[in-house]
Amino acid sequence: MARDNIYLPYLMKVDGVRDETRDVRTLRLKFARDEDAAGFSFKAGQFGEYSVFGAGECTFCIANSPTRAGYIECTFRKAGRVTKALRDLEVGDTMGFRGPYGNVFPLESWYGKSVLFIAGGIALPPMRCVIWNCLDLRDKFKDITVIYGARTVGDLVYKDELREWGERPDMKLIQTVDPGGETPDWRGQIGFVPTVLEKAAPPSADTIAVVCGPPIMLKFTFPVLDRLGFARTDVYTTMENRMKCGLGKCGRCNVGAIYICKEGPVFTAEQVARMPAEY
Amino acid sequence: MARLLAKEKLGALIRGAMDKKYRVVGPAREHGIVLFGELSDPAALCLDELNTQNSVKEFFFPKTEPILKYALGKHDVALADDFAAPRTVLIGGRACDARSLVALDRLFGWDYKDKFYFARREATCVITLACDRFDEACFCTSLGFGPRAPEGSDVLLVPVEGDAYLVEVVTDKGGALVAELADIFTEGTPGAEKVAYPEKKFELAAIKPWLERNFEHPFWNEEFLACLGCGTCTYQCPACYCFDIVDEGDIHGGQRCKNWDSCQLALFTRHTSGHNPRPTQASRWRQRLSHKFAYYPGKFGYEACVGCGRCIRNCPVGLSILDKLVLIGREAAAAPAEPAGAQP
Repeated sequence: MARDNIYLPYLMKVDGVRDETRDVRTLRLKFARDEDAAGFSFKAGQFGEYSVFGAGECTFCIANSPTRAGYIECTFRKAGRVTKALRDLEVGDTMGFRGPYGNVFPLESWYGKSVLFIAGGIALPPMRCVIWNCLDLRDKFKDITVIYGARTVGDLVYKDELREWGERPDMKLIQTVDPGGETPDWRGQIGFVPTVLEKAAPPSADTIAVVCGPPIMLKFTFPVLDRLGFARTDVYTTMENRMKCGLGKCGRCNVGAIYICKEGPVFTAEQVARMPAEY
Repeated sequence: MARLLAKEKLGALIRGAMDKKYRVVGPAREHGIVLFGELSDPAALCLDELNTQNSVKEFFFPKTEPILKYALGKHDVALADDFAAPRTVLIGGRACDARSLVALDRLFGWDYKDKFYFARREATCVITLACDRFDEACFCTSLGFGPRAPEGSDVLLVPVEGDAYLVEVVTDKGGALVAELADIFTEGTPGAEKVAYPEKKFELAAIKPWLERNFEHPFWNEEFLACLGCGTCTYQCPACYCFDIVDEGDIHGGQRCKNWDSCQLALFTRHTSGHNPRPTQASRWRQRLSHKFAYYPGKFGYEACVGCGRCIRNCPVGLSILDKLVLIGREAAAAPAEPAGAQP
């Protein structure tokens, strides 16, 4: 079939299933047709529309690094009709993917600098793509630090990778859970992400900060980064608004005049500060 | 000398198009309401109303349309998107209707091209009637065009003295249709044009700058408290285009559809988490007005409003976008923008 239909997804085969928490799952997808795989590439920060035929489409960032080619991963929480249907898929099942859409993190412009990642809860998946992208090009960057928090220990995603990151000598991982979310054997921090960030006070000199989390976390994290001396043009985030098409047409993801799906999802804190309070 | 069409020949024009195997769409009375629909008989054409209840957009961008079909196997899925647009003559729309197509072309054509919309655009010849009357909801002239503007039409019929229309061929497509049906038209000297121009009601140039300066303003809460959030305004608007993508089917297969949606509905922007960036009806009205008069013209150079007045005539609580634009125009005149570069 001709690919002149912009709404037509690639057919994908579920190649792997991994449970991250009690309600968060990662799917690894491979292209059902070799010619689709051959013509496909993406960059860190881009997103797509994942679909189960009969249930509908859902928007997520691509969760794996473009340095690991040949497959796509998405991590999602079971929340509604489509994510429930995605969760019901098994290895070998067929689903749809449209993408990649949106702009990218300008990784090349960060070469030679340190990178500080700050993520909350289910917002680690969009950032995992960038973290692995940086780790796979480790000699291009100075210090790499990840600050990651979730409501409870049980809500931390990618536990195997967190263990790996914690053990790597070439990066620093700070984990935290909200007060009351700790278990007796929890050895990470206890506190909200902005508080833990302020206490850790990572140096801002020659450092890029990448922040991803719910709107309320962004609201409290940006001022902390201001106080730590980060220039707003060196602070990046990836925004999510409800989307349907991903193509700049369906009309719902805009914040003021900015369409997240086309001009984003990656923005600097300086750009976010200029947006009206509608996100 | 000019090409003329006697008013009594409108039916013959429709019959001629039908004989040439065109689908003909025009206003017809159905259950007491005048709606655009496929005409099965030229006599069904009804030009009693100034404007139809529905707009012409649904013949290019239907309320619901399949964008793909899927058949489900045990582990496999087969996709198909067989689609063909019927050759169509759309007759009886107004200059505002035609202009909405020009505005929609920008949206469906930028960056990614929506083939469903453009296949219908290409297959459709738009014959527009210039207006010989208007009502209090009409405001095309306030938007910088008017009741006999040719933009978006392929053929424009301008009513003239002597029970006839002056036939203006606007595009090659329109010219080809007129040539196909040449024997219906006559040559002659047209009488005086009977075109009615509504008075200009606000200063368009003042609206966008005011909206850009006043995202936060008591105006939004004060003026739109009455809104029920029913979405009638957006569904009847010829230039509104927001849509949803929804699967419909059973265990064997089905179709993925592009369905009209509305920024006036609370669920339109609500996140999975429950957070809603536009939590109040006032914020949804602000979106509607700002989108039509600031965001869309900023991006595409056209207002996403054509002044047809449908949303005003049909609002169940009597909210009028025209009244609000007039208010904004007055506000803008009372408090003009700071000169560029001025610091507070």
